[in-house]
Order: sequence, then C-alpha cells, then structure tokens
Amino acid sequence: MRILLDKFSKSFGSTNIIEDMNLEVGSGEMLALLGPSGCGKSTTLFAVCGIHRPTSGRILFGTRDVTDLPSQERNVGVVFQSYALYPHMTVEENIGFPLMVRRIASADIKKQVADIADLVHIGDLLGRRPAQLSGGQQQRVALARALIRRPDVLLLDEPLANLDAKLRLEMRSEIRRLQKETGITAILVTHDQVEAMSMCDRIAIMKSGEIVQIATPSEMYKDPRTSFVASFLGNPPISFLKGKAQQGAFVLGENGLCLPIAALSGIPDGTTLSLGVRPEHFGTAGGIPVEGKVVFAETQGRENLYDVVLPDGSVLRSIQPVRDDVKPGDSVRWNLDSASTFVFAEDGRRL
Amino acid sequence: MIAPAAVMISLFFLMPVILTAIFAMTNMSTATGISGGAWQVTQGAVNRLKTAMPELANGIAEPRFVVDEEGLAALEALKLKAGFTTELRTSHMGEVFPSRREAERVIKALKDRPSTREVKQISDLFNRSVLNTRFETRDELMASLKKLGFTLTPAEQDTVAKATYTGWVWTTENFRIIGNSPDMAQIFLNTAFYVSVTLLLFNVSYALFLAITTHYMPASTASIFRAIWLLPRITPVVIYVLLWKWLTWDSGFISMFVGQFGYPPKNYLLDSAYNAWFFVILINGFIGASMGMLVFSSAIKAIPQTQFHASEVDGASRWQQVRHVILPQLRWPILFVTCYQTLSLLASFNEILLSTRGGPGKATEVWSLAAFHTALNNYTGNLEYGLGAAMALVLVVVGIVLSLIYLRIFRYDTLISKPLIED
Ligand SMILES: Nc1ncnc2c1ncn2[C@@H]1O[C@H](COP(=O)(O)OP(=O)(O)OP(=O)(O)O)[C@@H](O)[C@H]1O
Ligand SMILES: [Mg+2]
Repeated sequence: MRILLDKFSKSFGSTNIIEDMNLEVGSGEMLALLGPSGCGKSTTLFAVCGIHRPTSGRILFGTRDVTDLPSQERNVGVVFQSYALYPHMTVEENIGFPLMVRRIASADIKKQVADIADLVHIGDLLGRRPAQLSGGQQQRVALARALIRRPDVLLLDEPLANLDAKLRLEMRSEIRRLQKETGITAILVTHDQVEAMSMCDRIAIMKSGEIVQIATPSEMYKDPRTSFVASFLGNPPISFLKGKAQQGAFVLGENGLCLPIAALSGIPDGTTLSLGVRPEHFGTAGGIPVEGKVVFAETQGRENLYDVVLPDGSVLRSIQPVRDDVKPGDSVRWNLDSASTFVFAEDGRRL
Repeated sequence: MIAPAAVMISLFFLMPVILTAIFAMTNMSTATGISGGAWQVTQGAVNRLKTAMPELANGIAEPRFVVDEEGLAALEALKLKAGFTTELRTSHMGEVFPSRREAERVIKALKDRPSTREVKQISDLFNRSVLNTRFETRDELMASLKKLGFTLTPAEQDTVAKATYTGWVWTTENFRIIGNSPDMAQIFLNTAFYVSVTLLLFNVSYALFLAITTHYMPASTASIFRAIWLLPRITPVVIYVLLWKWLTWDSGFISMFVGQFGYPPKNYLLDSAYNAWFFVILINGFIGASMGMLVFSSAIKAIPQTQFHASEVDGASRWQQVRHVILPQLRWPILFVTCYQTLSLLASFNEILLSTRGGPGKATEVWSLAAFHTALNNYTGNLEYGLGAAMALVLVVVGIVLSLIYLRIFRYDTLISKPLIED
C-alpha cells in the first residue's frame, strides 16, 4: 500500500520540527529514512502510524486519507526505538497482544505466535518477561509483535541497533525477505547507512526536518545532491578539500594543486568551492598525481585505509587493496580520479 | 546508627502496642483506678457473691452488732448513765447480734432503763456492719468478717476477697466479653460493612476511576480535576465535616432545597441508619479517594509513554489499554492503597465521631469508635480502659491478618521482579 505524505508539517508547541514534507513510498517498497539524530525521523514515523496528528498536511495510505484516523484503525506495525514491550506480559503475550485485542481465538494466537517467534529466533524465550531478555532479544520480540498481524504498513525505528554484527546481517535479510514476501510497504529509520543501502529500495536523507534527497542507494552514492548527502553515504566517508574555482579548474590553496574539472566550466573565478573525494577515487588508479604524507594507516583485512595530509594541511582518505610498502610517516605520490569527484558550492549544493 | 533507630522504634512504635496488650489483660476502669485497690463490701460485691455463697452474701449485707471495747469507749464518751457501760461490759462483752432488733432488745433490758432515744443511740455505737467499709488489706477484711462471726474456709476467703477487691486484676474476661456480647458482634458487622464499602467503592474503585480518567485528559484539565479532588484531604477535618453537617442539618442545604417541594425539614445525617451510613461513607470516601487517586495517577505516569503508543498501534481500544496495560501495572499501588486504607479506615474514627458520633443510636458505631467510647469517653462515666485496650488489640490483630491476606491475594512474591536468567 502506497504511503503519501502531502505537505506534512509537525510542530511541538512553537518549535517546528517538520515543515511541508512531501514523501511518497510506493506500494511494496521499503524506504530508509536516514539522517542525524534529532532530525525528525521518529516524528515522521509517529505521524504515519497515527500517534502524532500532523499540524498540517495530509497522510494517505493508498488513496485513503488517514490523516484523522486513529492509530487503531490504520493497521500499521511499528517497532519502536525503545521496543515498548509490556513488562508485565510474557514474550508470548507481548507478541500475541495485537491479535488478543482483536479477540482472536487463543489457540490461533498461540500457533501464530509460535510461528513468528521461530522466524525471529526467539521460540525458546516465549515464557520469559521482557526484563529477563537481552536488548537484542527484546528487539526481536518487538519485531515479531509488529509483524504478527500482517500489517499494511511496517514502520521500523532502528530495529537492529542492539543486535550483534552477525545477527544484524541475518535480521537484515530476514526483514527484507519478509517484507518482499508479504508485499508490506515499509519505512526503516536508521542511522546506519550500510543498513539503509543494503535493505532498502530507496533512501530518503533527512536533515533538520527536511528531506534533502530521495534516490536508490546506488544513485545516491554516485550522484549526491549536496555535500551533506555525500558525507552521509559511504564507509569510510568521503573527504573534502577546500579551494577556489580558476579557469574551469579547482585550485587547492595558494598555488597548490590544480584539478581540471568539467563541471566547473562557467563558474566565475575565485568562487569558494569544496571538492568531495571518495576514498576509492584516490590511490593507484586515476589521472592526477597528488603528493602528501601518510599520517594514519589501518588495515581492514581485504583493504587498507590511509589518511594522507596534503602540503596545505587538508586530508584525503584512500582505500586500496592490501599493501605493505606504505607506513605512517612516508611521503607518497598517489593519483586522484578527478572525473569521479564531486564539486560543491559553499552552501553545500552540488555543481 | 542502629541504636537511636531501635530506641525510637521501641519507644514510639512498639511500646504503644505492648502497653495496649498489657492493658487488655486487665479489668482496669475508672472504678478500679490504674494503681492498686482496696477491699470493700459494696452492694455490687454482695451481688457478685450471691450466686456462690448466698448465705454469706445475705449476712454480709445485713448490719451486725458486736459488743466490744471500741463501742464501750464510745459509749463512755457519750456521758450517758455509767451503768450502761458497766453492765454491757460485765454481762454482754463479745456478744454478736445478727440484727438491730436483737441488739436493741438487749440494750432495752439493761437495768438502768435507757430511753428509746438512748437505745437507738447506743445500738448505733455497736453497729459493726462491713457493708461499704473500706479495708486497706485483705487481712483486715478477713479479721473483720471473723469478728462478725463469719468463719470462712481459705477457698471461701479467696472468693470473698476477689468479689470485694476494688483495684484492677489480671484477667482475660475482656476477650470473653468481646467474644460473647451481641453488641460487640453488631459493632463488628458495622465495621466490616463500613470498611469494605468505603474501601471498595471509594478508596480503590473511585480513586482508580479518577486516576484513569484524568490520565486521558489534557494535562492542564487533569491537574485542575486532581486539585479539586484533593480539597477534602487538605481541608481540616473539623471544617470539612462541618460543611457536611451544614448540608444535612434540618436547616441545611438539603432540607432547604427539598423544602421547595413541600417536604418538611429534617436532619438527613441522623434521621435514619440508612442515611447516616450513606453520609458517613461519602464523607470518608471523598477523603480516601484523593489519596488513591494521587498514588494511582503517579503510577500511571510512571508507565512509559511508548507503551501507550504501542498498544494503540497494536489496535487496543481505550478500555483494552486500561484493562491490559494500565491495570496490570497498578497491582502494587492497588495493593498498597488497599492495605493502607484498610488499616486507616479500621483505626480512624474522627470523621464519624465528628459527624454522627456513632448514631443514630449505635447505628454507625464502628470498632475503633466503640473502643474510644469504652475506654476514654462515655456517658456513664465508667471508662473501661481494659476492655477498650482489648478492643484496640483486636483491631491490631485484624489489621495484621488482613494485610497478610492482601499480600497473598495480590501475590506479593511475583511483584518482586526475578533476576535475569542467564542463557
Ligand atoms: N513530544 C515532543 N515535544 C517537543 N519536542 C519534541 C517532541 N518529540 C520530539 N521532539 C523534538 O523533535 C525533534 C525530532 O525528534 P525525533 O524523535 O523525530 O528525532 P529522530 O530523528 O528520531 O532522532 P534519533 O535518531 O535520535 O531517534 C528533536 O529535536 C526533538 O527534540
Ligand atoms: Mg528516533
């Protein structure tokens, strides 16, 4: 079921958290809401599930306007950031709660609970209370509770934050599989860009209550609209160089490095710019040599990560296949692939 | 740090209960006093003796006349004819007459012929009746009786001593009285009725109702409601009850109001037992409900907001939210309020004392008020400390037993959360 936020605004008292947000999540699509803490991700989710009424604007499920519909009638499954399990109920009762309030026969509930609990690997914990579970186990109970009544819309507020790396990978694909199988429209709120990129069809990046860009993960990686988006995606993160435009080229500092870049034709000389260079675009391949000094080296097993300080003090990050010949303190002359860099104006806009 | 606390606890918490228990095992009253007593053949003592020793009882009650030195000395002091004294001493010394008539017959027969007035005067001097005489020790009483011609076996002496002792004694009689008296049974039923109805209707149910309804109100409206419901609690009880009296008096608001429709004015508070209970329960209920409301409100506030959010998106209606999310998490506060309010309803009687004084008749007399009336304040003037203390002790025991029962019912053990079980 399609979700549409139409000029959605939300303010608490006199503070506007979200203003005129437009967002469409296609039927059966899984969208990631990615953004820094406090940018309004949870607030958006709460509006979709009906806990917060929008200050203005409309919310549509399919073609049905649900703006004024109480949460109970929206058929939305939510995994809350703080789990919100009922402490006085056992795991079984927690998961079965959405069915119980619909007065479904308890034998049916028991069976469905058992099925979904196996799915999230908590089948042997059904008799426990939330206080007797680890964080990750609680999270899976919350997930099971959100999924059990086959909601039209699934909202996940950082559902995997407390899991260990292995379980997180497993749950990622599990949630994605479930979502695809059932065709549920889902919104996943996360801080973790890897999670967003690996699980979702599209990513919406939010910053202080606004959606900066919506795109598929690869589009967004290759074609960020602002420096904020570019800095948010990618691990290790992109590095920025500060410089000026000069005759269609990017010039770093006084008489420093000069990079001819196609996008810069027509930009007046002297405009302050910043150049985004992803670590994989600085290293052995590429056309323009850059000299610097390695100040930091780290191996990640298959790849090595280096921080290189340029003569003017700015830092470029580089990721390369494992090699043993470079150590911190060494001077290097590596190549920069200028065609793959991004140029941003002073206000962060991509040029 | 333990020593001062222990002193305080034993002095102010333990001592009253222990003293009550000690008093409860005595028959102390205004009549006996709380220090030692004396031996006195009162009419009451005679009555008590009537069943066990009817002869002695009758004899003791009668005046007795004995010719002895004491009487003769008094006679000499009267300066009547000297012959009276001499003759009585020589021929009648030590004689005991069971009645005035017999004594006077002998006096009349004296050679010096006393006049009728003198006969009476003389006989008075030899009156040795023990009725209403106070003896400081038991031996004095026994010596006196012996002189009067009552020879008693040691067992009989015990009975007499017990019947005539005016001080307090150790006894379990109080509990027998409490157990057997139909008055006490009635008071017990009154108390059970008063406590359970006030507790269930107001202190718990109504308080819960207020707490839950204010929880679903906007914050500012809710605090206004809570403040209003707190008023009975913060108003001095004398004034608060006075307001109720003003409402229910014959010239009060209710009378004035229904007077408009032609009903004659009457005192609604005391006009029937039914009305008296109605108002007593309202007066106490409104005070009690405010405390429960506060406790329950803050307990509901302590439930994380997200649980309400979660249950809403899970599809729970308001009622289901109350039933499945709020109430189960209020088990401990409900237990606390039930326990606390049971005890305070059992023990406090000031609202009843100020409003109905237990009336009309003894319709609204509850246990604690009856104990107060028995031990400290009643119309006959004989304050029965011992009996009152025994009643108070019953209250303490009932309170403890009820608390234990509540702990069981609410399964206190499960309220204490279990530690995390390791995988
Ligand atoms: N009930 C509220 N009253 C006032 N301000 C609120 C309320 N709820 C949230 N806010 C504010 O709204 C902003 C957005 O909050 P929100 O919870 O949506 O952030 P978030 O993006 O989910 O952050 P996080 O990743 O840390 O969970 C924050 O600045 C927060 O302080
Ligand atoms: Mg959040």
